[in-house]
Amino acid sequence: MLRYLAQRLGQAAVIVAIVAAITFALIHLAPGDPFSDMMDNPNVNESVRQTLRAQYGFDRPLPEQFVRYVNSLAHGQLGWSISNQRPVLEVLGSALPNTLLLMGVALVGSFTLGILIALIQVARRGSIIDYTLSGISLFFFSMPDFWLAILTLLTFTYWLPVFPVGGAVDPVMHEYMGLGGRFIDRLWHLALPALTLMLLASAVVARYQRAALLDVLPADYIRTARLKGLTEREILRRHALRNALLPIISLVGLSFPALLTGAFFVEKIFAWPGMGLAVMSAIGTRDYPLVVGGVIIGSIMVTFGSLLSDLLYAWADPRLRSH
Amino acid sequence: MAAMRYAGLLCALAMCGCVGTESSSAKNSGGTLAISTGGDPDVLIPSLVQSVQAAQMTDMIYDRLADIGDSLNIVNDKGFVPRLADHWTWAADSLSITFHINPKAKWHDGFPVRSSDVRFTVASAKDSSLGSPVTPLITNIDSVSTPDSLTAVYWFHARSPQQFYDAVYQLSIMPEHVWQSIPPASWRASDAARNPIGSGQYRFLRWIPRAAVELVADTANYRGAPKLSRLVWSIAPDFQAAVTRFLTGETDFFEQLRLENLPEVAKHPELRTKQYHALQYSFVQFNLRDPAHHDRPHPLFSNRELRRALTMATDRATIVRSVFGALALPALGPTVRAYPTTDPNLTQIPFDLPRARQILDSLGWRVSTSDSVRRRNGRPLQFTLSVPSSSKVRVQTAVILQEQLRQAGVKMDVEQLDFPVIVEKDRKRTFDATIGQWNTQPSPGAVLGSWGIGGSRASSGNNHGSYENPVFDAYVDSALASFDPAKRKAYFTSAYETIIQDAPAIWLAEPSPTVGYHSRLQLATLRPDAWWIHIPEWWIPADKRIPRDNTPQSATPPPAQPAGQKTP
Repeated sequence: MLRYLAQRLGQAAVIVAIVAAITFALIHLAPGDPFSDMMDNPNVNESVRQTLRAQYGFDRPLPEQFVRYVNSLAHGQLGWSISNQRPVLEVLGSALPNTLLLMGVALVGSFTLGILIALIQVARRGSIIDYTLSGISLFFFSMPDFWLAILTLLTFTYWLPVFPVGGAVDPVMHEYMGLGGRFIDRLWHLALPALTLMLLASAVVARYQRAALLDVLPADYIRTARLKGLTEREILRRHALRNALLPIISLVGLSFPALLTGAFFVEKIFAWPGMGLAVMSAIGTRDYPLVVGGVIIGSIMVTFGSLLSDLLYAWADPRLRSH
Repeated sequence: MAAMRYAGLLCALAMCGCVGTESSSAKNSGGTLAISTGGDPDVLIPSLVQSVQAAQMTDMIYDRLADIGDSLNIVNDKGFVPRLADHWTWAADSLSITFHINPKAKWHDGFPVRSSDVRFTVASAKDSSLGSPVTPLITNIDSVSTPDSLTAVYWFHARSPQQFYDAVYQLSIMPEHVWQSIPPASWRASDAARNPIGSGQYRFLRWIPRAAVELVADTANYRGAPKLSRLVWSIAPDFQAAVTRFLTGETDFFEQLRLENLPEVAKHPELRTKQYHALQYSFVQFNLRDPAHHDRPHPLFSNRELRRALTMATDRATIVRSVFGALALPALGPTVRAYPTTDPNLTQIPFDLPRARQILDSLGWRVSTSDSVRRRNGRPLQFTLSVPSSSKVRVQTAVILQEQLRQAGVKMDVEQLDFPVIVEKDRKRTFDATIGQWNTQPSPGAVLGSWGIGGSRASSGNNHGSYENPVFDAYVDSALASFDPAKRKAYFTSAYETIIQDAPAIWLAEPSPTVGYHSRLQLATLRPDAWWIHIPEWWIPADKRIPRDNTPQSATPPPAQPAGQKTP
């Protein structure tokens, strides 16, 4: 098991390194630089920009910049964010907990909701409820994440103004609230972005889980359970669901990239101060170190998600443990 | 439903017990202004500021020696109002101006403001290692001497009508004791930049990246306490989210409403709008040099008559009406109506499609029967217009322009690009045509950098289209050198009419931005170069306050930051 783990970690490190190198090359080769925006001012001339490029080492050849970047990585540094004027590690370090909170709530919520929907559908298979829930799942499944985010934002903040318009906290009042008030404020702000991500992901989970449940229902052990006189609900809950959960465990790992990508768009629209918002802003401003740093952290999260899913799968399926 | 929002807010406030009671003496002072904005400030150092958010904040935190008046006069000191300098005197030869610092002025950390701070500010802005955009604008200032701690003398290289403006407008004064130990190249990255200490009527309280920036009233300020106790910039990078925060009452103010937002605002009786003239103009710029070989003229746009024909084929009034509605006027030229030197009746190239067709015919561009595109020697009259995909307004403009030019037999391809890509193409001058916009300063002199020969020939210049006409430059030079307002205006009029007739660009629109605000806010004048400058005079009547107006004002100033700098 340890050998397998070490092997997977090694693979993950190689993937992260390749992704980082490709991102470094692509973002540096894209036209513009972190100081392009200032050229929109008629009073700023090129000499100011050249001074700043030299200060940050962007006037050096690209291979040299890459070697310097790798060197700073080797020292545990992700570079200096030009747009934030702070170390990238500090910028991402303050943003990552918000992203993890959003993704965590969305992950748990979407799997709970998705499995619940699938159970209802299978229990009422062929009925109007089954078809309706399938239709709703398909609707959210095919919905672009940014579009659903805008729709949710307008629906629940403007037409039915029950939730605040983005942010992780009330920027005007949060600092003046007590501990309890701050907690409520945080939850209140988390609700909409988490709901958006949850709706997107639960549609996928529901469809997978429904198919997995339908796959196991004709199995012999289900027939045996029926013959033993168990109710349909007990059969579904105690026998079918347990065995149909295996594909869903794989889905946990596969959901990481989708959730992370979704979180990037959702964070931007809801002004949720997470890693996605930081990186999206950094792409626009060509903040090279922050973009590459964000991609490194993102790819680490995705590869670890995949690893976690494999480990969970092995844990859940005794047949795989022996390998 | 809105009540539910406030119920939640009140509940949270009650839990922290911070809903205060109104003092009857504080009728016109107190209250919170929450501003919806689209991004973080780039840096809170006045001489390095680029973004509009940072300009708003630093103008509240820092003070200049004197401030330009609402008339935006920049000749001599007429209209300028005292700030850190309570008065000033001119030398007989006008080569120096002596500023007398207000003895009551203090930095937010309690240190008194001294003339050495003024000298330090100017010297640092002139330091090329700082990379300040201000440096090229203060070249006429030779140095600053300090005969005593409250007297700063500015020495100039030459007498100029706008030397007072150059001395006071470009630079807010910075505390020497905070910055002197930090090398200028490290200022942006220093802790001091994130905890600014100024002498303005608001002091910095906190900056939560991608969430909010908060300032509080400096109640002991030498100019008196501002009326509003707290300013909060609520940051939402998505435009829709930012405007929705304003529409739902989460914020009180939104600085740039779009045409499509106005009907929504009108549905809310508690919201108001106000329009003001800004210092912006947009244009379609032609590249007069070949994008592939800069030493050669552009195959199309080097021809003045062709450029004039394209301008004539463009119905600018329709474009402005369709894209901006009442939020802009057709641009007059490379200038704005807010300048006292601009004649609003400048002679324009009129919209005249038949005449445009005649000119193109006479130039040998004949309409092809196959595709209705004009051709000359087999070459189609075709070019590419580059527009930033992030600007909805510019993309809409491009689409309408494309159709208008099609009617003249011109094929214009629209190329939507990322903004940094557009900047690169502009800088390298590898475009055919582009839609640009300049946000200018109160001095019309910036026109030389954007459209003058110097800006064209210098590799670092901003005249990306490489338009050159010595007559235009001469008129602008004469205008800038003139002390007589009437002559100044006459020279500028001649300069503008010269460039308009040369048509290096199609002058599109002069936006008149519309701000949205809650009716409880009592605004003052919105100055064209900086609508925010009079915020310290804004107020909220006591009977119109809401819970967020009554939060306790933090009395803890940020610590002094002479050390602890970080370097990239």
